[in-house]
Amino acid sequence: MKNLNTLLAGVFLAVALPFGALVISSQAQLGSLGRAPAEDGGPLFPSREPGLAIQGRAVYVSLGCVSCHTQQVRPAGQGSDIARGYGVRGSVARDYVQQKQALLGDRRLGPDLANYGARTSKIDLEALLRDPAASGAASHPSYSYLYGRSADGKSIVPSERAVALVAYLKSLRQDYSSPEAKLKQ
Amino acid sequence: MTQENRSGRPQGRPPEGDSRLSRVEAQLRGPFLLFFVSAVIWLLAASILGVVAALQQGAVAGGPFRDCEVFTFGHVASVQRNLFVYGWGFNAFFALNLWLLSQLGRFELRNGWLATLGGAVWNLALTYGVVQIFAGHQTGFGLLDFPREVGPVLAVAFLLAGFWPIVAFARRPTGHNFASQWFVVGASFAFPLTYLLAQLLVLWQPASGVVQAVAHSWFISNLLLLWVSASALAAVYYFLPKVLGRTISGYYLAPVGFWTFFLFAGWTGPAALVGGPVPLWLQSVGIVAGAMLMVPVIITAINFHGTLSSEGGWARAWNDTTLRFVSFGAIAFTLFGVLNAVFGFRGYNAVVRFTSFAAGQEQLLTYAFATMVLFGAAYFVLPRLTGSLWPSAKLVHVHFWATALGALGMLAGLLLGGWQEGKLLADSAVSLQQVVKAGSAWNFVLIISAVLLLVGHVAFALNAFGMILKSSAPASEGRHD
Repeated sequence: MKNLNTLLAGVFLAVALPFGALVISSQAQLGSLGRAPAEDGGPLFPSREPGLAIQGRAVYVSLGCVSCHTQQVRPAGQGSDIARGYGVRGSVARDYVQQKQALLGDRRLGPDLANYGARTSKIDLEALLRDPAASGAASHPSYSYLYGRSADGKSIVPSERAVALVAYLKSLRQDYSSPEAKLKQ
Repeated sequence: MTQENRSGRPQGRPPEGDSRLSRVEAQLRGPFLLFFVSAVIWLLAASILGVVAALQQGAVAGGPFRDCEVFTFGHVASVQRNLFVYGWGFNAFFALNLWLLSQLGRFELRNGWLATLGGAVWNLALTYGVVQIFAGHQTGFGLLDFPREVGPVLAVAFLLAGFWPIVAFARRPTGHNFASQWFVVGASFAFPLTYLLAQLLVLWQPASGVVQAVAHSWFISNLLLLWVSASALAAVYYFLPKVLGRTISGYYLAPVGFWTFFLFAGWTGPAALVGGPVPLWLQSVGIVAGAMLMVPVIITAINFHGTLSSEGGWARAWNDTTLRFVSFGAIAFTLFGVLNAVFGFRGYNAVVRFTSFAAGQEQLLTYAFATMVLFGAAYFVLPRLTGSLWPSAKLVHVHFWATALGALGMLAGLLLGGWQEGKLLADSAVSLQQVVKAGSAWNFVLIISAVLLLVGHVAFALNAFGMILKSSAPASEGRHD
């Protein structure tokens, strides 16, 4: 290995070949995926994201929620995600085509959120963010700073960021059929 | 050049004899010390944040800084990981790789100001990135967390600070070369390519949906294997024969080890996506590549452990400060390779997926392997570059035992704790609250480990900075034990 050019060429290929085969070919395979009906004439899924949810995703990212929460449900037979109620089916690539950032995550200090909007209410969600201990999630960080007091000081009001974050979390749903993952009737 | 003490304890002694710097070392002293001092400062900052993150994880309502948005767990964990890798790891390897290739190629660094400029830009960009994460401007992709404008600056800084080993290899006076040089040249060339491509497809022109996750997993595996591990392997290949004064066992296998390492490492990324919403063929490629990576892992094990196992090598390694750290690292790398192959397979992966196990594997590689090797290298290189002695042998002891025990505790907490967590999570009848409660003992282990690591790093910093300050004073004479 006396020749620098040979060494650099080998290393270049060691970087470029996996990049091409893994990343570029994935883009070729999945890049054209779009919203689609599960059956001919059916509604298109995944739904378009509301503007407020898009703002809420920015809050989710800025607070680093992805450090503790995943957004991917493994299929039956791989872990207990579905048995735990994290979702009704395994996540598929099409579920993420509307998302500017696919925040799959790789660590669960808390529950998976891929289908969180379908299993929680806005009231419960706000209570969790404001006072996790009182909501039975003592290990969850407190986001009380997203809430303030009303002008008369008698009630707690959410900030714009809190409203957006709740809208985003409520928008997270994978409870529809898609061509790759049909729900059992 | 070997150094041993008869008491059987690491003393951190400088080299015997003439402490005057060679011409090669004199010219890289400035950039080396800039990288090294920056690295240690970032290591201390990361260690403090490591303690905060350990306290926050699993504590009631976020633990310390519970109502402080700046220091919320999502910020602290992200900054800690980035500071450890980009602050400590990169600066330290800039310094070590430059020193290694200068030594092996008799390279005189004539334009050292470029490397110094690169180091300054790197650390300024890093500081800016950290402030931005604390301010809530992060990307959501681990180790690409900095706002995207930081990426190109870091890439340019890398070219200025981290490309010199390739120049040193190109200008070596003879055709002779050694395994350490291949690994450093490979690492220095592979990282900027990887970083720029990942920046492009994850942050600047994001790929479609889950392809971002594929690109991100490819980036992480390349960063950890082709930069961090390759640089650390180069150091092990250098220090084992250098300090023991013998050749590497089975050295004829080293070229095979090098090429198979670079050939398979880049394909292992998708193993981090097993069970995820990506094509099955991608996951299978990642799993197979992780198993194939055992080839270079076995070869390095033959090279390293074979060398240490002959002629009382282990005993000598135990009695030498540099080798004690380096051997610890070499064992950790072999263990990483085995765990990486075994826990890539779907059955085991399904258990440990999304638990702390993956973080444990990363710490096995970045701390127990790379960081311990870097510490060992510092004990060898610094006395030569400063011409001074380690001020305190006791601090060397504290450093080794605190970091070794801290690393073992951290690995136990993350790997064993992760396995236990995974087994509990596999049973859907066990609630998440019960899982968290069952893991509280491991959280305690992690807190103690984080404190131990901080203590060890403070001891190392005090000793190292004391030595550097003394060396800048005229006619300095360190303490002889």
